[in-house]
Amino acid sequence: MPDLPPQIAEWFDRKGWAPRPHQTEMYGIARSGKSALLIAPTGAGKTLAGFLPSLAEMIEAPQPGIHTLYISPLKALSVDVARNLMTPIGEMGLGIRVETRTGDTPVHKRQRQRYDPPNFLLTTPEQIALLTSHPDADRTFSGLRRIVLDELHALVTSKRGELLSLGIARLAKLSPGISITALSATVAQPETLRDWVAAPVAPQAAELVMMKGGAAPEVDILKSTERVPWAGHSATYAFPELYETIKQNGTSLLFVNTRSQAEMLFQGLWEINSDNLPIALHHGSLDVEQRRKVESAMAAGKLRAVVCTSTLDLGIDWGDVDLVIQVGAPKGSSRMLQRIGRANHRLDEPSRALMVPSNRFEVLECEAAIEAIADGAQDSEEPVSGGLDVLAQHVLGMACSAPFRADDLYDEIRHAWPYRNLSRDLFDRVVQFVANGGYALRAYERFARLRLTPDGTWRVANPRVAQQYRLNIGTIIEEPMVKVRLVRARGQKQGATTGPIGRGGRLLGEMEEYFFNQLTPGDTFLFGGEVVAFEMIRENEAYVSRAFAPNPKIPSFMGGKFPLSTYLAERVRTMISSPDNWAHLPDQVRDWLSLQRDVSVLPRRDELLVETFPHEASNFLVCYPFEGRLAHQTMGMLLTKRLERARARPVGFVASEYSLAIWGLGDISAMIRLGRLSLDELFAPDMLGDDLEEWLNESSLMRRTFRNCAMIAGLIERRHPGKEKTGRQLTMSSDLIFDVLNQHEPDHILIQATRADAARGLLDIRRLSDCLDRISQHIIHKPLDRISPLAVPAMVEIGKVQIFGEARESAMAEAAEELMREAAGA
Amino acid sequence: MTAQGVAKVDDRREAVTLTFADQLFVPLPSGALYWPDEQTLLVADLHLEKMSSFVARGLFLPPYDSYATLRLVGRDVEATGAKRLISLGDSFHRDTGTGTLPPDARALLDRLTKDVEWVWIAGNHDPAPHDLGGRCCGGLSIRDITLTHEPAAVHDRVIAGHLHPAARVYINGRSTRRPCFAADDRLLLMPAYGVSTGSINILSDPFTGLLNRAALRVMMLGRDAVYPVSVRRLVRG
Repeated sequence: MPDLPPQIAEWFDRKGWAPRPHQTEMYGIARSGKSALLIAPTGAGKTLAGFLPSLAEMIEAPQPGIHTLYISPLKALSVDVARNLMTPIGEMGLGIRVETRTGDTPVHKRQRQRYDPPNFLLTTPEQIALLTSHPDADRTFSGLRRIVLDELHALVTSKRGELLSLGIARLAKLSPGISITALSATVAQPETLRDWVAAPVAPQAAELVMMKGGAAPEVDILKSTERVPWAGHSATYAFPELYETIKQNGTSLLFVNTRSQAEMLFQGLWEINSDNLPIALHHGSLDVEQRRKVESAMAAGKLRAVVCTSTLDLGIDWGDVDLVIQVGAPKGSSRMLQRIGRANHRLDEPSRALMVPSNRFEVLECEAAIEAIADGAQDSEEPVSGGLDVLAQHVLGMACSAPFRADDLYDEIRHAWPYRNLSRDLFDRVVQFVANGGYALRAYERFARLRLTPDGTWRVANPRVAQQYRLNIGTIIEEPMVKVRLVRARGQKQGATTGPIGRGGRLLGEMEEYFFNQLTPGDTFLFGGEVVAFEMIRENEAYVSRAFAPNPKIPSFMGGKFPLSTYLAERVRTMISSPDNWAHLPDQVRDWLSLQRDVSVLPRRDELLVETFPHEASNFLVCYPFEGRLAHQTMGMLLTKRLERARARPVGFVASEYSLAIWGLGDISAMIRLGRLSLDELFAPDMLGDDLEEWLNESSLMRRTFRNCAMIAGLIERRHPGKEKTGRQLTMSSDLIFDVLNQHEPDHILIQATRADAARGLLDIRRLSDCLDRISQHIIHKPLDRISPLAVPAMVEIGKVQIFGEARESAMAEAAEELMREAAGA
Repeated sequence: MTAQGVAKVDDRREAVTLTFADQLFVPLPSGALYWPDEQTLLVADLHLEKMSSFVARGLFLPPYDSYATLRLVGRDVEATGAKRLISLGDSFHRDTGTGTLPPDARALLDRLTKDVEWVWIAGNHDPAPHDLGGRCCGGLSIRDITLTHEPAAVHDRVIAGHLHPAARVYINGRSTRRPCFAADDRLLLMPAYGVSTGSINILSDPFTGLLNRAALRVMMLGRDAVYPVSVRRLVRG
């Protein structure tokens, strides 16, 4: 390794520290001008590993302007890293200017940063897009030597990663010879991530440095003396035991998977908080002020516990967390490991974690996660790639910066890993889309945003285009939100629609508008740790009043966010199929599985068990693919279509993380027995053909996906505070746009982009397709005369959960029948 | 977490009718209203050329909405055998839209205006007369029923558009929101017909004082049928 400059070496000596091996290795690679990806657990001093080479270069060859760009997914992280850098820079007596630039940076400072940039600029992917879209981008980045990418594993799994990759490809072109240092937590496919890092600096390669984790974490499952429920996600049975656990530890972080679970847990803990322990709540809907308060109280060591969602998965280092508690299933081993890493950021001591399953299937899932963690197995998501909506946004940004030749830009964007295989044809169609909408019916050429000039370059038609681009930048599309304000209730009974209502109460936070669309005045739900009653929506605010009901009527305001990882699913299937390994399961879970073995069948790992049985007035078909709720939901939609054609008269279905239950009027058992229904045909992979197509066209999930793509691609504008339309109008119009476009030009690139996104995200079609291939010829049918033990969790959900957003015609039909009855005098 | 779906709804029901001002009408799921005794089809708020109007703001929305709307009109004309079509205003999203119809939409409109007697009633979005076939007027009266775009504060025997009415029903834990016909004993409000039009809940401010709740009848547009729904089940939003 080349020696550290004396200023740095002396600083380490004064501190009594020595660079760690991975820091020196990264230093050596970077000083030889090469790029590298460092994979290391949290607390390993990754930031210093990233910046040591920059400090050294600036000491040896001071230069004005930007030398190093640091890009991370979180504003808070940039601010924290800036603070952590300024201390050593000050102590070493170096004249290096470090500044952050985020959406919160004042406009005058941002403008100044363009003509008088700092040496180290700490920023986000969106700011890179903005900076590179200015005509003076080449000057801003003329001295750029290094890019440091932090928490890369978190960025590459979303569209932000695609945007970032394109931004880096542009930076690599503006400043040839730059090197990239990327920092990541442990991932399933380190080589893929390394390729991602190397793509923009090709033909140069990138090194991969993997640091072994420190002490193995100690992970346990809560050994509850209570009964673990069949279904549900609240884990209320465990609240008293959780409270005791919090009491016995210094500081605990309690992770849950959804905001509603966070609300329930927080409220439940305070109900039994007889010692008045400082327990706080942190999730994305709460007011920013309130979240900052919690974070600073946490940093100051004033809290005993924080109940939080994925908002605290990443972020600044708090040092003294003693215990991480995962309430509800972990969903994936990589996610669990990340969360565990939030405890005890000292490498040599083991982190401690406790998992609290909220139902019996989750017990299996928690066991599977513990095995996976012990094996060091990772199941992180792969980087996303090829988003045409993000590419369209980038193409417009590049046009705002300078006229471009299609050939040149095409070569450049293929240096972004997600677009390495993009065809020229698709690229050209994206350019056409940006220029004039790209419709087969060429209606807008007169109004084009980009024009092809005689010298063969594309230019923006007028300066307004650049303004519009800058207002619509980024890939994070928020659901339309409304502010939630606490007001005094109406004088009359709850739900009254007349009478005065108090105004100007306290702001509690924000919530997705669609949640309120399904409420009627008087409905109660949990928010900010208390039960409130919905009063009304006025302009952009939802008025709620304090409700004096102990339990909210509306149980949740969002479904599970993360699907069960394929990897954990397989482990769970394995576990169920091997009774020899049940020894360490809690008694009640073991009894449950044993009973299943006795009265029905335990499917083998590669089998799909399909049970059919009558229950109450319906006939049920329950299967157990373990592929996550989204894939099951899609499967449910498609299977009901097929069952309908087979005249099994299906009525409805319930999809959970583990199973799918369909019920109907036809006797499915008999139909199979008599050869009138073949399960192999029912589950044949060709259901992903025409049936899927037909369903997609009417699916609200498609419309939601389209809205995001259309905003990112610049087909419709985002909502800006205090400006124009409300979110609802905007949602509605994007639905109408989708319908018209899907019907009249179904191969338009935005429809293509929507289909690709939906297949990957909301519908999980790839996973469903893999599943159908896996179970093909491995379906075992078990006709039963009554419900099986394994089916119980799905069956208890029926009637408790809301009807999924399709087939809403039935609500009108019922209201119409009611009218008929009224008319008949009934 | 779980989600639940309903697989199928039986949509086979006999045609719904609506009696207003002593006349029998047939509301169609497209949002058109057929008047058998006059062999007349009524539509409101086509808002043709709405998508293309966004180009003024630099947005390129799919330029297919006019054709899509006119094709629906054509199907309704064919299905009902109407001899006359009356468009109750805001037929175009703005006056200049009459000059920007794409060729396929223009051809379809030319054919339709030749096939049936076509009447354009002026709306607030498209007050100016034009020469796209048919006849332009400010409003008209048939069998003592006034057909107009915007209902006046005081009215009787009026069929109007303009307001884009919609209803939301809430029943057994489920809610559905759809455009609707809304009528009392004096006024019949038509839903907006155009494929690019939005809608407003009839329980919200713009409708205040217009309809007499005691005599209110609401018919929601389903996928394949019109549903006369119980007024007790209406909610806001």
